[in-house]
Amino acid sequence: MTEFAAFKKMKELLTNYYIEAKTTQEKPIAWITSGAPVEFLYAMDILPIYPENYAAMCAANHQSGELIEAAEAEGFSQDICAYARTDFGADLTQGGPAAGLPPPHFLLCSTNICKTVIKWYEVIARKYDVPLFIVDTPFLHDGLTKELIEYTISQFKDLENFLSDFTGNPFDRERFFEVLYLSREAANYWQKMLYLGKNIPSPFNSLDTFIHLGPIVTLRGTKECVDYYKLLYDEVAERAEKKLASVPGETYRVLWDNLPVWFKMRRLEKFFEEQKTTLVVTTYANSWGGYGNFNLDQTDDVYESVARAYLNVYINIGFEDRIKYLAQLIDEFSLTGFIMHSNRSCKPYSIGMYRLQEELSKLTGKPGVVIEADQNDPRVYSDAQVETRLEAFIESMESVSLN
Amino acid sequence: MFEPFHEVVTNVSKTILEHEKKLSRPIIGVMPAYFPMELIWAAGGYPVQLWGNNLPLEKSDAYLQTYCCSIARSVLELEMRGIAKMVKAYAFTSLCDTLINLREVYRRLFSKPTLELSIPITKTMEARRTYLKSVVQNVTDGLEAITGQKITPDALKDASQLYSRVRALQRNLYQIRREKPGLIKNHDFYTVIKAGFFLPAAVYAQMLEELSGNLEKLEAPNRKRPRLLLSGMVFDPLEIYKLMDEFGVDVVDDDFANGWRTVSKKELQLENLLEGVTKYLFHPAPCCCIYNPDNDRHAYLLNKVKASGADGVLFWYMKFCEPDAFDRPQLIKRLKDENIPTSFVDLELSMANFDAVKTRVSAFCEILEG
Repeated sequence: MTEFAAFKKMKELLTNYYIEAKTTQEKPIAWITSGAPVEFLYAMDILPIYPENYAAMCAANHQSGELIEAAEAEGFSQDICAYARTDFGADLTQGGPAAGLPPPHFLLCSTNICKTVIKWYEVIARKYDVPLFIVDTPFLHDGLTKELIEYTISQFKDLENFLSDFTGNPFDRERFFEVLYLSREAANYWQKMLYLGKNIPSPFNSLDTFIHLGPIVTLRGTKECVDYYKLLYDEVAERAEKKLASVPGETYRVLWDNLPVWFKMRRLEKFFEEQKTTLVVTTYANSWGGYGNFNLDQTDDVYESVARAYLNVYINIGFEDRIKYLAQLIDEFSLTGFIMHSNRSCKPYSIGMYRLQEELSKLTGKPGVVIEADQNDPRVYSDAQVETRLEAFIESMESVSLN
Repeated sequence: MFEPFHEVVTNVSKTILEHEKKLSRPIIGVMPAYFPMELIWAAGGYPVQLWGNNLPLEKSDAYLQTYCCSIARSVLELEMRGIAKMVKAYAFTSLCDTLINLREVYRRLFSKPTLELSIPITKTMEARRTYLKSVVQNVTDGLEAITGQKITPDALKDASQLYSRVRALQRNLYQIRREKPGLIKNHDFYTVIKAGFFLPAAVYAQMLEELSGNLEKLEAPNRKRPRLLLSGMVFDPLEIYKLMDEFGVDVVDDDFANGWRTVSKKELQLENLLEGVTKYLFHPAPCCCIYNPDNDRHAYLLNKVKASGADGVLFWYMKFCEPDAFDRPQLIKRLKDENIPTSFVDLELSMANFDAVKTRVSAFCEILEG
């Protein structure tokens, strides 16, 4: 990984976050999906816990395999999302780097990342016998509509009532706006930092950004999160200024679509380095930049802008819009090609990917490759198969390389 | 007695084309599940339900990964091979991640119109009502644009009564099966239900009426074989029922999305179409694909087992169906807690070898026979 001084700060932040999660006696705990509107929770002093983040940590720590097997031994099929299986396994065995997650008092789930989370959270709700609040954000086949925005806003208002009933306190709107402001600030620094990848050579690679995602996922809405991403942005900006490359001799610049392969980060980093290839931009890390679009200047529009941000998530939009967005990234980041991770564990991200690859290559003239892998299950990953495909892809970029 | 139904199921394209000609209605391919056929019929369309097939997957593999269910893959195969060329448009529901993305794949690959009944999954009732209203409006507008025909109140009333009659006749068949186990062979039973995916409702209703009339006169065989309740999304592959008939097991009820979960739906209420569609989607049977905590699957399935007199529950798992897979472990545990034996089989529509399934089902039956 590119060495960032900020890394130490991030580790400290996340360690403190998990310590608080495991030890808090005062704060209610809500398990929450990565795309759910966490700002409502922070406004009511509820501690959000992200099973997805924990599953990724388990995989990056090479612990997901055993946890997945524990879940499967309990009857969960190999066909279900490996994040869910990892977390079920961690819950059963109190395994993983934090020795399991603290039990939830309620669950908050949004369908903007998939409908699978409903099933996942239903299992948890049954197990712990806790309430499940779903913010349903239907797929945007044809872009954002007034109906979709109103539908989402109504659910936000209902979420406020739910939280008020749950805590016994009126919903704190003033605090909510403050949290939104903090979310926006952090997301803006994150997005600005990601845009520094437009520099040639790129001052970071996307494997770094996957690692540095932790706080924007888990601490979005806090002051610590803003401070952290300001620190990271300043450091990356300085690298960009000095033209320090993440991958020495950067020859190819590519996009990565879909989640990372968490258990192969080191190996893939080495592979890409040897191939003089920088992963410059990802649709995945970019997703959290979208929360920088909250319009907080006019009170009337706040809920609408929050609804827009939570609906308009990359994997919740139609293919026409996905292709336009990908083509724009390829252009703006001066890319030589793109890699699409066909991720067995994430159907909304992956189904249709082969068609997207065809169309995107045709539209941009840039080569692309689809690799078959999984975000968390090492048993369905083959180094040889993936790397052979990537090598062939990198060869195909020779005619479009920067040199 | 069952021959006409077998004829339909073994000659699907021929059946559809013949009826299309007679009806002069555009064929609308209906994807899984719970799209009210009534709306399509009222708009002047001829709905044909697509629940997958056993074609070897040659072309669809280029676009759908092997971790997609064989329902999605085989339905796409139909269109890619040109076998579904008679289908003029496709109607989807937002049942799962695969189907939502499949619609996008269709939009990129083909020029045929598609529409989606987006099912709102929220407990915020006012929001659900308002959103679903716009969805129903979009769906009816879309259907009218496809068929070029307005949905009139009279057409909707006729369609609602027609499909209600079909489902009532199907329910009657389910009742005969429950009350006279073994009278209808398992393979015949599901062939009859499957024929309804392709036949015009009025034709199918007439065939069902005749069949029921004949069956009601007959008595159940005087024997006791293991009685099963099947639970899953799709009741195919039909070949397995032949095996079950051979080694002696009676399916007495089911919890299939394209079986009882649909058959049990009451007449689509029209006084307030929005309320009618809401009831249609969320009641009476719960489904793993439609979040509805007010209609608990655990209690529902327990009651169903008791009411049907089943000796055990066989989970009929279509590979890669995540909604079904997530529910299974807790459901099995709950049933076990109530001393109800369970087992499961992993299935794909394209499977050609049923040895493993046969072994598993016969082993389960041996347990049930004690």
